[in-house]
Amino acid sequence: MTVQTASVSLLEVHALTFLRHDLPVFAPQSFSLCAGELVWVEGANGSGKTTLLRVLAGLLHVGTGTLYWRGKALERDDSAGEILYIGHQLGLKADLTARENLRVAAGLHGSRPAMEPSQALRELGLRGYEDEPVRRLSAGQKKRVALARLLLLPAALWLLDEPYANLDRVGTTLVNRILGTHAAAGGAALVTTHTAPDADDGRWRRIRLGA
Amino acid sequence: MLRRELLLAWRRRGDIAMPVLYAVLVTVLFPFALGPEDTLLQRIAGGIVLVTVLLAMLLTLDAMFTSDIEDGSLEQLVLSPQPLALLLGMKILAHWLTSALPLIVIAPLLAAMLHLPGPVIPVLLLALLLATPLLSLLGAILVALTAGTRRSGMLLALMLLPLCMPAVIFAAGAVAAAQQGLPWLAPISWLAAILVLAIAFAPLACAGALRIALDA
Repeated sequence: MTVQTASVSLLEVHALTFLRHDLPVFAPQSFSLCAGELVWVEGANGSGKTTLLRVLAGLLHVGTGTLYWRGKALERDDSAGEILYIGHQLGLKADLTARENLRVAAGLHGSRPAMEPSQALRELGLRGYEDEPVRRLSAGQKKRVALARLLLLPAALWLLDEPYANLDRVGTTLVNRILGTHAAAGGAALVTTHTAPDADDGRWRRIRLGA
Repeated sequence: MLRRELLLAWRRRGDIAMPVLYAVLVTVLFPFALGPEDTLLQRIAGGIVLVTVLLAMLLTLDAMFTSDIEDGSLEQLVLSPQPLALLLGMKILAHWLTSALPLIVIAPLLAAMLHLPGPVIPVLLLALLLATPLLSLLGAILVALTAGTRRSGMLLALMLLPLCMPAVIFAAGAVAAAQQGLPWLAPISWLAAILVLAIAFAPLACAGALRIALDA
């Protein structure tokens, strides 16, 4: 491997599988993700999209295969904080307000937030809902609160499981815009979704998971 | 993290009062069941208060991680760059502050209801101060272990009660010794020693158990 590719490629995946009861959930996957790249993971229900993302996030053990982070074999200590995962369960406390939830996330991340929680919420169109307990927000609004974490925390790689679910058309364009800005700033993202994301944007690449 | 937990607990103030009420009611039951004899109640008062407080805590343990697992907060905790054991330690501390501390505050009242002599009450409180965090820590490990299973409440009680036997023995030993005017420092020191061990290792064990629970 040359030094040059190592400096650009954020995440490299070699023949990765995940084993559930000794059976692979998806066929071995090999791909690499460079800075500024957006990847759309496509596949039918149950084809292992979420599992793939959870393995990459470090929530599940790698079955077989290797992961490289910035050219080196992936150590969770190195990548912690650089990989941001937002799954189906949003990780929001229903009893806390949107602003408090974001503050907790920033505190957990341990770094100086890139912007104020209220500003991140404004960006996602939640002005006026900052101090509303998340319990009282709609599903789409909750999703937006969770996505506001993306703006708040400086992470290179975003792993988003169905970020468009529950979002209206405005929200969808919003997510596309955020992803675009992230990629332009040298970040990368892996996104699972059933509907094609912004196809006009040349940055999108497609990975297909067969069942 | 500690702030978050305490804030969450504050949002559900009602839940804090539950175990306290439970402990009061259980303690009130004893004089009814055994008859209001001073000497008998005095003899068993220490034990009753101890066991009642432990059982009341058991009620609250179950919920320690369930909500975090359900709403995905636990995933975010595991993925955060902070050491998981430390975060869980904070969670356990918050649990102790919100569930055990109120119980300890009313313990003198409970003890007085059962005619426990005044000079013994400080010993009882000391024993509780050492025994309850132990229960929080041991309980947290078991809650983490049973996190993946549904309806783990009963299983949890069955596993935890034998484990907290030593705590009960030493705590009750201290109270009984104080009641008879004997030195009570030895059992208290034992309790403290076990607690120190638990503080050091329980968060690590918890972190390991929760990682396994998620990895399925």
